[in-house]
Amino acid sequence: MLKHLMTAAAGLGLLAFATAAPAQETVKVGVIAPFSGGFAGSFGEPFRQGVETYVAMHGDPAPGVKVEFVWRDLPATDPARARNLAQELVARDGVQYLAGFVFTPNAIAAAAVAEGAKVPTVIFNASASAVVSQSQYFVRTSNTLPQVSVPTARNALEKGYKTVITAVSDYGPGIDAETYFKKAFEEGGGEVVESIRMPLSTTDFGPFLQSISLKKPDALFVFLPYGPPTFSFVNGYRDNGLDKMGIAFIGTSETQESDLQTLGEAAVGLETAYFYSAAHESPENAAFTAKLKELFPNVDPNPATVSAFDGTHVLYEMIRATAGKADPDKAIAAAKGLSWESPRGPVSIDPETRDIVQNVYVRVVEKDANGRLINKEIKTYEKQPDYGVQK
Amino acid sequence: MTLLASILIDGVAYGMVLFMISVGLTVTLGLMRVVNLAHGLFAMLGGYLAATLMSRFGAAWGVAVAAAALLVGAAGIALERVLVRLVYGRPELDQVLLTIGIAFIGIAAAGVLFGTSIVSVPLPAFLSGVTDLGFRMMPTQRLAAIAAGVLAAAAIWFLLERTLFGVRLRATVDNTQAAQAVGIETGRIFALTFALGAALAAVGGILGAQLLPIEPNYVLKYLVLFLAVVAVGGLGSVWGSLIAALVMGVVETAGKYLMPELATIGLYGAMLAILTWRPNGLLGKH
Amino acid sequence: MAERFSLRGYRGLTGAELVIPLAAAALALIFPSQLNFLMLVATTAIFVLSLDLVVGYAGIVTLGHAAFFGAGAYGAGLYAIHVTAEPISGLLVGAAAGAAIALASGLLILRAHGLTLLMMTVAVAQILLEVANKSRWLTGGDDGLYGIMPAPILGLFAFDFHGRTGFAYSVVILTLVFVFLRVLTASPFGRTTVGIREDRERMAALGTRAYPHLVRTYAISGAVAGLAGAVSAQTVQVVGLNTLSFTMSAECLVMLVLGGTGRLWGALVGTLMFMMIHHSAAELDPFRWMFVIGFMLVAVVLFLPGGVVNALARLAGRRAERASR
Repeated sequence: MLKHLMTAAAGLGLLAFATAAPAQETVKVGVIAPFSGGFAGSFGEPFRQGVETYVAMHGDPAPGVKVEFVWRDLPATDPARARNLAQELVARDGVQYLAGFVFTPNAIAAAAVAEGAKVPTVIFNASASAVVSQSQYFVRTSNTLPQVSVPTARNALEKGYKTVITAVSDYGPGIDAETYFKKAFEEGGGEVVESIRMPLSTTDFGPFLQSISLKKPDALFVFLPYGPPTFSFVNGYRDNGLDKMGIAFIGTSETQESDLQTLGEAAVGLETAYFYSAAHESPENAAFTAKLKELFPNVDPNPATVSAFDGTHVLYEMIRATAGKADPDKAIAAAKGLSWESPRGPVSIDPETRDIVQNVYVRVVEKDANGRLINKEIKTYEKQPDYGVQK
Repeated sequence: MTLLASILIDGVAYGMVLFMISVGLTVTLGLMRVVNLAHGLFAMLGGYLAATLMSRFGAAWGVAVAAAALLVGAAGIALERVLVRLVYGRPELDQVLLTIGIAFIGIAAAGVLFGTSIVSVPLPAFLSGVTDLGFRMMPTQRLAAIAAGVLAAAAIWFLLERTLFGVRLRATVDNTQAAQAVGIETGRIFALTFALGAALAAVGGILGAQLLPIEPNYVLKYLVLFLAVVAVGGLGSVWGSLIAALVMGVVETAGKYLMPELATIGLYGAMLAILTWRPNGLLGKH
Repeated sequence: MAERFSLRGYRGLTGAELVIPLAAAALALIFPSQLNFLMLVATTAIFVLSLDLVVGYAGIVTLGHAAFFGAGAYGAGLYAIHVTAEPISGLLVGAAAGAAIALASGLLILRAHGLTLLMMTVAVAQILLEVANKSRWLTGGDDGLYGIMPAPILGLFAFDFHGRTGFAYSVVILTLVFVFLRVLTASPFGRTTVGIREDRERMAALGTRAYPHLVRTYAISGAVAGLAGAVSAQTVQVVGLNTLSFTMSAECLVMLVLGGTGRLWGALVGTLMFMMIHHSAAELDPFRWMFVIGFMLVAVVLFLPGGVVNALARLAGRRAERASR
């Protein structure tokens, strides 16, 4: 009993380390994302880079109003912790806005806090269609899989592929990608010969690729999460000779910039369709990229960076609309229907779904003038909504 | 049948990688009764060192692999002498806690030193690309993994059966106290065995880098696989771990070819079945 | 010789159990804006207590205990969504789900020992995880099971998003579970369990068959773990696949071993320590907290062997009132 009290006392001492919220004329934004663990490099770090780039480019949101970001690490799916972090950010740190979220269950768990405490929240990634509808204070600036897969299917039809095999990682986004690609492809007269769902923990894709090569479809539609699976799969595609057999690779995010340089030569010539390429030619992208490189010299912009960058734009607009005061309904009203030119291209926030509407680009991996790999945009599908919501 | 041949060859390649990494673990578990949950560190470290030596210092592949193996072996000795030795004979749980702590430190250090994204281990020209096997194309690196596994198994056999060290090692495994009574320096045997297991794991990590990509979470992510090889093979049994690794490799591969959605369930189901049938592992003792 | 689970064993209770609600109340007063966190600690502590029964008392080292926590969480969640939102019966459903999975898997694996048993516990949990992942139509898969809206407890206390009700709820349940386990471990049933751990052969000579007894202990532990999962489902209102994960099993084992096994108090101390340090370290520097926890684990093993509680007991010079005496 004594020991228990002693240790409780020690624990209290530890908690005292936690900083109390200072009361200032500053608008605080709590960002919950993975900053440690396997997803930090694909999401957490780019989120931070995107946010800081925006702040460096735009300064304070409004005269006399400063913004301060509070970063909280959530390395994996853990809805209990997500809710806890969100709730503490609001109750203890006094944030006016929340942002971030990579995994769907985490975002949904935080929705209870957003609704209960009325805190406008900008989702930087969690891509299931159902996420944004969980709270009327949710806005999303990343993408959904249906949004990206439908134009991919249309492009495949236009290229003349008749038979496709889909191979996706067996989890939410993968299944969404497969479902909507298949729907759009078959509606256009194509045939999805087989749909393979690969366990998320797969490290060796050889067997899947081999069995695909035996069936010889025109093309292979793929969706994998960022990081090790993509790396293994793309290498496997080359190593098993599928490219030489003429089975075209149709991807979505596999060549996104945080994995692209690591993929190396294996990536050259791969065609994907996604919402952002660092090689997008526009003044906004040039300015964004320049500032990013100035702050973080060894970093490439990638879709996660841009999602956070644009998310910060939405936050800024909400802060401006409310002059830095806590007025959640006014803030969300300001976000709805917002439209601007992002580094990725023209985007807008759908006033009814509060989800992002954006262009989806077909790109092919090439080497630029300096021999670095880039996703070169070759086609644009404009103003793609989230097809997952429209039935 | 082409499919069967594909399953076998892919499964064997995967199994060989698992074998090389796990054999060190089974020997230390069987020999020193030390549960080392940080064993994956050696494989991961091997991958990182080889990649760094090649990309930063321009070393040739063969040199990098040899150097990495030596360095990791030395690290293994250091780790054993400094930390692991302190928990010999301690309750299993204490060893679990200590080695998980070491694993966490290793993961954090890897994140700091090498970043959180995957690090690719460059391949030399003779190992990259594909080989035409007639019935299909096979990544040359996989064939190399099979060759290396066979070589490792042969070398281990030679070491155990034909050298003095091997005799002493087997004696120490069978009965440590008797071995000491006979004058065998068991402390040195422990250290060397730890080092060899670590070095072999490093090689396995390098050759398996495409199957098990090198990133900080490597240590805990694949721990279950390595422990499974050891459990299914039987603690302390080198040949058991070889058979177990090959069986697991083939079963998982077969699952992927034949019923991809149930591949993971199939693998763990097979593991349960084997362990129910043979509770001490396939070739385990007592 | 029949074992009886005897409630006359009030000797198991020393009144020290009241420390739990008192300490919880004190923490709540000092940190009113962190009730949600304290609630998480209490919920996890219930799970770690169930783990102590199996690891500390029965001597079964498991890395798959999350299977029962997750079963309880999904069971209670589905119950709340499809049957009724009444929370107390939801708890019972969760406990039953945990017990059922534990009973089934225990019958299969408890004849094994050591590393084999360990791997079998992992295999069972992984299979359950895959099944939950595949059954998207039922569990939501990796998107999670959501839409769990528990009704007010006893019709009176509504769950609020601040976590006040949830906090009190979890602490009450934690205290009751602790009392139950105290009584259980002090009873003949509990002493038999420890006897099996310490000297199986002697117990056999006394006429006790280990296997059925271990299965019963495992099932009871599964029920408590399922109960913890149910509390989690009701208070977080989302159930993710992480409730079945290897990480969950491993982290909770670490918490238990840190605090000390075989004393029940160790489970509480370990959970509190681990989660508080994680909470603070992750806030101070999210990038480096693994260093902190890693060094801490190594330090505890080297300087506070047997876990904090057992080491402190030795330092205090008191005779260890372990379950082993």
